[in-house]
Amino acid sequence: MNAIELSHICKSFGSFSIEDLCLTVPRGTICGLAGENGAGKSTTIRLLMNALRPDSGFAAVLGVDTASPEFLAVKEDVGVVLDEAYFPEVLSAAQVGKIMAKTYRRWDGACYDAYLDRFALPPNKAFKDFSRGMKMKLAIAVALSHQPRLLILDEATSGLDPIVRDEVLELFNEFTREEDHSILISSHILSDLEKLCDYIAFLHQGRLLFCEEKDALLEKYGIFVGTAEQADSLLREAVVGREASGLGGVRALVRRADVPDSLTLEKPTLEDIILFTVKGGRAS
Amino acid sequence: MRALVLKDCYVIGKQLKFFLLFILIMSAIPSSFNNAFAVVYAAMLPYTAMAYDERSRWDQMTAMMPYSRRDVVLGKYAFGWLCILAAAGLSAVVQLLLSIFPYFGAFSPIVLLVSVCSGVCILSITLPLMFRFGVEKGRLAMFFLIFLVCASAGTIGSISDSGANFLTAYRDVALLGLPLLAVVLTLVSLPLSVWLYGRRQR
Repeated sequence: MNAIELSHICKSFGSFSIEDLCLTVPRGTICGLAGENGAGKSTTIRLLMNALRPDSGFAAVLGVDTASPEFLAVKEDVGVVLDEAYFPEVLSAAQVGKIMAKTYRRWDGACYDAYLDRFALPPNKAFKDFSRGMKMKLAIAVALSHQPRLLILDEATSGLDPIVRDEVLELFNEFTREEDHSILISSHILSDLEKLCDYIAFLHQGRLLFCEEKDALLEKYGIFVGTAEQADSLLREAVVGREASGLGGVRALVRRADVPDSLTLEKPTLEDIILFTVKGGRAS
Repeated sequence: MRALVLKDCYVIGKQLKFFLLFILIMSAIPSSFNNAFAVVYAAMLPYTAMAYDERSRWDQMTAMMPYSRRDVVLGKYAFGWLCILAAAGLSAVVQLLLSIFPYFGAFSPIVLLVSVCSGVCILSITLPLMFRFGVEKGRLAMFFLIFLVCASAGTIGSISDSGANFLTAYRDVALLGLPLLAVVLTLVSLPLSVWLYGRRQR
């Protein structure tokens, strides 16, 4: 069964729209949602949680239609961290814990206290006096303390210093050791997605450009570095995108299947694939 | 929904101390206007909580939690009712204690009942507007609310102060009509708020 299933979702806001979005996250996997600011990542997450109603299409989370009344109960199984922790500023972490204990049936107070300790969050300090990193850590502690089976993380690691970010990524990794646990994580930090995810989905201007298994994606492409003449000799459909690399040189993302095996290609990063895909789209 | 009410209690926690003091003082002043104002004013507390919610964009969080729109809306009404009842209870205790002294006059349960019903009516009239436009945009409704609060307290005060005969004559209206009006307004207001909140969320 799939943890997340979006099928032909459309949602228009006038100047911006999500168009024919189809995205599937198999249970037990981590899917990274990449995309520039305003690409529709947060909108996708809001659509998934039924905070927004799609104009058309079908969405299901943990096998339940998000438009059905039963979805309210499914929300117990979903831990969400949004791009900001939207807790009222006068609340303390201890008060947030008490509120969540009455919100989630499977709230684990001891687990929450352990996360507060682990993240060095003061229980009685007002939320408004927290740094951005501390606020995000509190949101993560809440999301992990009600025994969710699915985590939906919207820029959850932004604002965290590299050491804490690494620790949080490890937490997410630990979370998916349970075979039915899944994660959908959106992030600007592509290196985080590359480190953590099994699948990568890329949204651009409200359209899903690709959703593929990360290893297959990294295998599918290569980075060509050579002269402009060499680049011009490549098949047009082999080149996803190219850029000048100084002194008449060219750097290009190419499809390995469409170039000769004899051509030496560098291994691309996820960032290479995404940047060249966008640039290639603009050039064409 | 209990969690949402608890959250609102925490949010206005600091102001609650000031509010309790305000009720004590207003209830102790021998004037029906002041006694009524203390109770009717409690109907405004949900808006303070809503202002905090709006500033922190708390609705984004509740949309991710196992709460329906109905739970969110009902939570605010429940919080308002609790505030009104708590204010009425406290005011009654203060007035009963002070009625021992002749200077303070007798405790009037009808004034209290009318005050509670007026508070509930004000809540029912203004909450749908707040759910539709939010506290920031709903400032006009807020001014309207303040006018209603003052007018209700003033009317209750003047009726009560004008003499026991008047109260006796209108006792039936006070005892039956106003509670009925409060119930009817609430029954209309609640689904309207849920609908308006849903439209705002879309």
